[in-house]
Amino acid sequence: MSSRIPDTHAEAWALLPWLANGRLPATDREWVEAHVAQCAECRGELDAQRRVATQINREKLPDPAGTEEQRSFNKLWARIEASESAAPSASIAAGGSVSRSSRTLRWLAAAVVVQGFGLALFGFNALRSNHSDGGFVTVADVPAQRLNAPALRLVFSPEASMASINTLLTHQGLSIVSGPGTSGNFTAELSAEAQASGASADSVAAVISKDPNVTFAQPVAR
Amino acid sequence: MALKSVESQSPRAPVGSPDASERELLERIARSKDQVAFRTLYSSYYQRLSRLLARMSVRREDIEEVINDTFWVVWTKAGEFRGASQLSTWIIGIAYRRALNALRRAKIRPVSDEPFDEDSISVMSTDAAETDGQWLALGLSRLPVEQRMALELTYTLGHSCEEVAAILDCPVNTVKTRLFRARETLKLVLPDLAGMTGDKS
Repeated sequence: MSSRIPDTHAEAWALLPWLANGRLPATDREWVEAHVAQCAECRGELDAQRRVATQINREKLPDPAGTEEQRSFNKLWARIEASESAAPSASIAAGGSVSRSSRTLRWLAAAVVVQGFGLALFGFNALRSNHSDGGFVTVADVPAQRLNAPALRLVFSPEASMASINTLLTHQGLSIVSGPGTSGNFTAELSAEAQASGASADSVAAVISKDPNVTFAQPVAR
Repeated sequence: MALKSVESQSPRAPVGSPDASERELLERIARSKDQVAFRTLYSSYYQRLSRLLARMSVRREDIEEVINDTFWVVWTKAGEFRGASQLSTWIIGIAYRRALNALRRAKIRPVSDEPFDEDSISVMSTDAAETDGQWLALGLSRLPVEQRMALELTYTLGHSCEEVAAILDCPVNTVKTRLFRARETLKLVLPDLAGMTGDKS
């Protein structure tokens, strides 16, 4: 910055907020402070702006608690993991080789069946719920607004068969309630029986994430 | 999203400064998709962005969406940050543009602009700070969102004029003008503030 020395009151007046917050560059600060020292009007304004700054900082705005921050981060992380888990299957589908296409088709067929089951349940739940929220939502957000039980977000391996998925879900007391999302993720709720036996979304996620048929499992924040 | 360059405006942060440690976190995210670094960076911005978005009249239930959309960009574009500006300028700028675009498209709903009820300000209050705060809320409610942002970025987040211009994506002189107008409006509303400025020559 050049070392010009403006002498106009208006220029100093415009820069007073940054003299008040201490972020005026040294080259400007020197001449603005010199002007303020001999200008009563600017001194009054500087004092007034410092009061405004103090008041603005005092004002209470929504100040999310740590639990909200953790819940928000969990939602973002689920979105990231679902997206990154789905990326390899998308590249496989684009690969074009016979064996890969065959695997993809098998996966898609399984997904359609699971989706049909999930959509039936999802439709039932949607009819029961008062779904009037006009706000914008993300993939990770959709199911969480309509869940009736502890739930997990799941992405299955492209290698997983329909039978193995069914066995896995039944064994863990899970029912698909929505999916697949745009990232290939499903949402599954924990049955009342599983909950009664002490299972939680966290414990089931810990177990199911080790299953080779599952590439991603995370509890859904409610 | 194109990354904004403010190379000529903001010097690199000195080693050991908050910006330097945040840059280190970003480098870990870019280099090895480090979740701990990402969580730490998210935490250091969560409240700042929450407050800023609330000041933009973004509804509380929508604030989380804008923050997460912002950090989705941070996660996916970390390697594209060239370090020419303050990291905070980049991140807050993303959040501002995301919120502004969403508000403009009415994807998210602004807080109602219902007229502030001046009668609700208790003139009998013995707590001067509380009364001043109520008057300030009234004054701020009368400012356009761009002026409110310029005030918040300057007085709460402590940004320089050049940084505010980079975040709001406008010339430096526009920032000065917005703040000038905001100051004039607040003087009309805040009695003590008007009384302290003296007569203009």
